[in-house]
Amino acid sequence: MSHSPFNNLTIKKFHQGLVNKDFKALDIAEAYFKVIEEKDKEIGAYLTPLKDLAYTQAEETDLRIARKEAVGELAGVPLALKDNMLVKGERTTAGSKILNTYRGTYDATVISKLKNEGVVFLGKTNLDEFAMGASTENSGFHPTKNPHDLTRVPGGSSGGSAAAVAGHMALAALGSDTGGSIRQPAAFCGVVGLKPTYGAVSRHGLIAMASSLDQIGPITRTVEDAAIIFKAIAGQDSYDSTSVDVSYGDELTNPDFQKIKSLTVGIPEEYFIDPSASSGQGGIEPEVRAGVESVIAALKSAGIKFKKISLPHTKYALSAYYIIVPAEVSSNMARYDGIRYSQINHESEPSNLLELYTKTRSRGLGAEVKRRILLGTFVLSSGYYDAYYAKAQKVRALVKSDFTEAFKDVDVILTPVSPTRAFKIGERANDPLAMYLADIFTIPVNLAGLPGISIPVRQVKSEKENVSQSISHVANKHVTDLPIGFQLIGKPFREADILGLGQLYEKI
Amino acid sequence: MIDKKTLEHLAKLARLELHSHEEEKMLHDLGKVFEHFEELKELDTESVVPLTGGTESKNVLRDDNKKQKPIARDVALEAFPHVEQGFLKVPPVFEEN
Repeated sequence: MSHSPFNNLTIKKFHQGLVNKDFKALDIAEAYFKVIEEKDKEIGAYLTPLKDLAYTQAEETDLRIARKEAVGELAGVPLALKDNMLVKGERTTAGSKILNTYRGTYDATVISKLKNEGVVFLGKTNLDEFAMGASTENSGFHPTKNPHDLTRVPGGSSGGSAAAVAGHMALAALGSDTGGSIRQPAAFCGVVGLKPTYGAVSRHGLIAMASSLDQIGPITRTVEDAAIIFKAIAGQDSYDSTSVDVSYGDELTNPDFQKIKSLTVGIPEEYFIDPSASSGQGGIEPEVRAGVESVIAALKSAGIKFKKISLPHTKYALSAYYIIVPAEVSSNMARYDGIRYSQINHESEPSNLLELYTKTRSRGLGAEVKRRILLGTFVLSSGYYDAYYAKAQKVRALVKSDFTEAFKDVDVILTPVSPTRAFKIGERANDPLAMYLADIFTIPVNLAGLPGISIPVRQVKSEKENVSQSISHVANKHVTDLPIGFQLIGKPFREADILGLGQLYEKI
Repeated sequence: MIDKKTLEHLAKLARLELHSHEEEKMLHDLGKVFEHFEELKELDTESVVPLTGGTESKNVLRDDNKKQKPIARDVALEAFPHVEQGFLKVPPVFEEN
């Protein structure tokens, strides 16, 4: 096979080729590793390739096909895994030096589910340390670069997974999303990313960042691929008491487009603020606005109804999020004490236990992790708890009730994913607040526990779509440069609506 | 607002040690973040019931029988860097004198 055979490969096409015996799973796994060996030196999507495991898994699928056994749609599919999910016996670092030598003690539930499907695990991908960041620059090992422009970030924290899929170094990937960590890198890299409803997918074996917000989801080339993977990983799990028993039917992967066309889509005014707005939250780039408007025009032409809505507490979501997350972080990070999981080399042997804790954590954890631990310790301390943590939980309730109200009138909400396209490496690295602002449109979705999907805005074909002259001009000029994503937000456990609408958009 | 003394106290509670240059940057960054949090004060939340988790709070119960296969002792111990004869080895908890 030539070295770039994957440009149009999808899970469905892969499956057809595999069962038609056009190729073997091992051929494809080898071809992906060839691309990884050529390209990943400059992109840096992977932390730990899993070549031996991948080849063994691919051979197992090939053997089953040779024996004429029926195989599922995901058998042999080459997948990348964000390195905060445990794979038994394999190195799992969460992008942190403190876990440099740690190997998974058991399989995360999503991993065992995908192993049962016969998925091939190509490797563990890079992330901001413990998923704390929006650019993958905070990795304890190396930054990942955007395959569309190597001077720019791939987004984060699942930047390695998004870059692997965008760079044809994996057919699909898993990421995790606490405030946008699947959707924002998917948008920056021009791929699809689904953050499921909180509770739809088990978090067992996901290294926790903020437990009341974290969710695992797919990063893929098409919406249909995202639906196929989501269907395979969703479900209640006795190892995660926050997972919920929901029966997702066939509509995820085979939407009834007549039904989809009857959905009403809401456009929240608060998500289209101008840069000059007094909110101080940056506003959206004109190119992003034009891209999202082109999507609205395309969907309108397909018969979708739109309605203006208001989510009045949007502007407070960021503050609430950056109180709640550090609070949970400060608790979740307490386990990294130098006794469990992994070893940090000390200049001199610690003379007592307290010194071991302090030295290990100070050397093993990066600046953003320390910042969140300290911030979280503060907002939970007596005297400040009510002013910050309790207040943030109330604001979280208000953000959620905004959505509940809006969903009385509309079925799906459409917004940009991030206010800007991929920014330059280093541009925001020293300014935490600027980095946090990259997630202002995705954070409210996590606070409310809703499903959200990021889908690439297609290059605008102005003759085909009913877009006004000026918008199509701006869009044509810029959309081709860097990817732009739009976000669809659904009602709780209505992934079928956003996946269906996304699949409709892909067909227009 | 967090001053140098508070920061040092927080670091001690969180078992972190900050170098003086780290301290300076941390105070600056946290200052900016807390400035942003000020906006929450304009919001009246007196009568709002807080949302304390990701899902509706309800009990998740199961029958009281052995279900989970425990992780084998030797496998669990692999996650600890210092092990001697099946025991965890740690520095002294108390110092002499």
